[in-house]
Amino acid sequence: MTALRARVDKAVAAASTSLRSRWRDVQASVPSVGMSWRNAASGVFLWWRKLAAKIRSARAQQTGGLFRKYASLLVALVGGSLFINACIEMYYSYGERREALIAVQREKAYGAAAVIEQFVKEIEGQVGWATGFLPSGSGLEQRRFDFLRLLRQAPAITEVSYLDGDGREQIKVSRLAMDTLASGLDFSKDRKFVEAKANKRYLSPVYFRKESEPYLTLAIAGAGHNAGVTVAEVNLKFIWDVISRIRVGKAGVAYVVDERGLLIAHPDIGIVLRKTDLSQLPHVDLARKRLRDANIDVPAISRDRSSRDVLTAFAPISTLGWLVFVDLPTSEALQPVYESLRRTIVVLGVGLGLAALAGIWLAQRMAVPIRALAKGAARIGAGDLDHRIEIHTGDEVQRLADSFNEMTAQLKDSYATLEQKVTDRTRELSEALDQLRALIGVSHAINSTLDLQAVLAAILANACRLANAGGGAIYTFDEVSEEFSLAATHGMSADLIETVRAARPRLHDSSPVGRSTSSRSVIQVADLAVEPASPLREALLKADVRALLAVPLLREERIIGALMVRRHQPGTFDQAIIELMQSFASQSALAIQNARLFQEIDEKSRQLEVASQHKSQFLANMSHELRTPLNAILGYTELMQDGLYGELPSKVKEVLVRVETNSTHLLGLINDVLDLSKIEAGQLVLSSEDYSMKNVVDTVVSATESLAEAKKLPLKVEVSDDMPVGHGDERRIAQVLLNLVGNAIKFTDAGEVRIAAKAVDGTFSVAVSDTGPGIPAAEKGRVFHEFHQVDSSNTKTKAGTGLGLAIAKRIVELHSGRIWVESELGKGSTFYFELPVRTVQHEGIA
Amino acid sequence: MSKCILIVEDQEDNRTILRDLLGKAGYDIIEAVNGEDGVALALAKRPDLILMDIQLPVMDGYEATRRIKANAALKAIPVIAVTSYALSGDEAKARAAGCDAYVAKPFSPRQLLAKVREYLPS
Repeated sequence: MTALRARVDKAVAAASTSLRSRWRDVQASVPSVGMSWRNAASGVFLWWRKLAAKIRSARAQQTGGLFRKYASLLVALVGGSLFINACIEMYYSYGERREALIAVQREKAYGAAAVIEQFVKEIEGQVGWATGFLPSGSGLEQRRFDFLRLLRQAPAITEVSYLDGDGREQIKVSRLAMDTLASGLDFSKDRKFVEAKANKRYLSPVYFRKESEPYLTLAIAGAGHNAGVTVAEVNLKFIWDVISRIRVGKAGVAYVVDERGLLIAHPDIGIVLRKTDLSQLPHVDLARKRLRDANIDVPAISRDRSSRDVLTAFAPISTLGWLVFVDLPTSEALQPVYESLRRTIVVLGVGLGLAALAGIWLAQRMAVPIRALAKGAARIGAGDLDHRIEIHTGDEVQRLADSFNEMTAQLKDSYATLEQKVTDRTRELSEALDQLRALIGVSHAINSTLDLQAVLAAILANACRLANAGGGAIYTFDEVSEEFSLAATHGMSADLIETVRAARPRLHDSSPVGRSTSSRSVIQVADLAVEPASPLREALLKADVRALLAVPLLREERIIGALMVRRHQPGTFDQAIIELMQSFASQSALAIQNARLFQEIDEKSRQLEVASQHKSQFLANMSHELRTPLNAILGYTELMQDGLYGELPSKVKEVLVRVETNSTHLLGLINDVLDLSKIEAGQLVLSSEDYSMKNVVDTVVSATESLAEAKKLPLKVEVSDDMPVGHGDERRIAQVLLNLVGNAIKFTDAGEVRIAAKAVDGTFSVAVSDTGPGIPAAEKGRVFHEFHQVDSSNTKTKAGTGLGLAIAKRIVELHSGRIWVESELGKGSTFYFELPVRTVQHEGIA
Repeated sequence: MSKCILIVEDQEDNRTILRDLLGKAGYDIIEAVNGEDGVALALAKRPDLILMDIQLPVMDGYEATRRIKANAALKAIPVIAVTSYALSGDEAKARAAGCDAYVAKPFSPRQLLAKVREYLPS
């Protein structure tokens, strides 16, 4: 799938690329068409990508885990058991097969060995018989005769000769050559003679004649002293025949090696003729050794000359020291085993296939309902509570599905009731919230406006709305007349309002308002139609009112009024509504009481204001009235002093000075009181004009020089030359400085008075120092208080109103400045004041 | 011929003092006891200087001064305000009404005489 998609992906990409390039040229001439084609190609590409993504995601979603698990398990089980079975089978079959083959081969080897041994023994016996002693002379012919017979009887012997006891050839009879008699050839040194003499018998190594026939020389010594030796050349073709006849499978061979390991017989004579030495083959080598030592094991599997694996068995020909081997190539020997293995593999494959099919089928049967269950559970989990899982397998899975369905049904029920509950609670909450909002709105109205009418209207409107009432009213109570009057109405017609006004409910009458207030409890009329007749009842019925609720407005058990709500439907009011109306009633009572209190306070403050104005006016008038006669006194005094009315005796003049002094003092007192009262009443107006601080100082100095001179006090002045032009009330500032300098001179008996003025950072800083008695620390703050003088008893003689510093302080403060004193008892005091160079007109002065 | 000074003053004592002071100083004195009379007398007698109290019955000194200064015939006559409103702003008000000078009560006769002489040099 992936490979296929990759291919198609690639193809589509290539196609779209080629399309793009091909249409790029067209695009140059017809841009819009090129554009649309290009878009189409991109569209196809995108569409494919989308599809591929969808397939990918679908495959990812496919769970299939259970199915795979079941199928794999089954295949593994069946495949595994088949495989193990095959392995065991193979193992044993191989072993048995090998053993059987080896046995057969060994049998053949032994058979061949026996035949060959028999053959050699027979030859030997025949030769031995022909070797008997014969007297010399006549015996030679006899021997020849015997030899001829021997040749006739033993076709394998091709030549036989006799050597006498000295090793000289006496006779030689051959099938191939002429018989030789008494040739006298000396073989006394020949191995065949020497060995035969020594061992009675001699077998030569195999040799070949005519390059094709194997021969063996057999020499047997005769019995008796100086016996001769019969030498026979034996054709071994017989052995070759024996060996060649042995058939072992197709490629199996039998062969014979002599005691040296040389091959002496083999179906392929060529190999023998090449005088092949097999002593190096492991099994040949070991078998030769075994002849001498029976403990040596010869392996059943070895390698032949062509290095092929062979099954091998051997048999010794003990009389000759030869070995007969039978070899069979393993490939052939184990052919049936391999075939069996192939069959087993086929069976295994078929078994696995069947197992896979069975597994798939079984897994399908098991997984499909479980998958359906999982899918259904997922849908239910996602909230589809109407979904039912359909499984009819009749087993545990179906029971599980049924349980799921039951659970879903119960869940649905719970949800349904839960939703109902949530809806109920939400409604209750929203109602409560509504009420809370109304109460908050009312509180807000009470706090934000002093308009009682507006507050009561707001309360009533909210009360009617929440009580689901068509209309209502708030009454206020007059404690004197014990009557209720309408303070606010809601949803009432002008006629009804008029009727209610005319009805004038009273404290102890039978109207709902009267009853609820006199009993200090809530009164409700569930159906007005069944109430006793009264003009008010008729008017209300006419206005379609059927039920009403009256709540008293109480404040600490005092009756403030009543709240009334009216409905167009008969019926009682809920307890919750009644409680709500009670809280509206207490809000209304609070609002009414607040309004009344506010009215009282308002009234009081108005009265206070008027009183204050009266006081100021009085003071102003008073001071004017007081000053007018003083003017006359001072005026007359001056005229008299100036002799306008004739020359006066000196005594009278003295008295006139006293009169003038006292009058001036009185005038000062009056002026101070006037100033202070004006300041207190906020009526002091500062003039706002440019001034020179230097001029102020000069004015004060010239006004006080005479005073200082009279007390013999030096008046020292330090004024900076570069002081800026000030802005403020020059006369008032001069008044402050005059007061300070006047005090300094007044309270200082010896030493000096010093005035210093400078301007720093937009501020005038003025200091007046004296060497007077000083001010105790505890008094420092109080010297600026009205009617305060330091140590009054001591300063009685120092005439003063005690208002000067208080006025000075106010004036400085009106200029946004400050005034303070630093003093050391017994050494003197320094009064400081600072003013902004330019004072902005202080507000609140009118 | 001696100069004529009109004193507009409701207080008997003040009038006496001014009369004594200025009469002794050689001025002719004519007197009125309220603003209305003062204006009428000024029109009738054309004085050389007017001493005008501010707090007067019937018509106060500010108004009387305004009327005098509004009259082309009387406009040139110097008016010196004599007032017991010895607070800031009074002088400004008096000047605004047309007064040429301002003397605060309680006045010193000596100072007043000096002020008069400023306007009526002999």
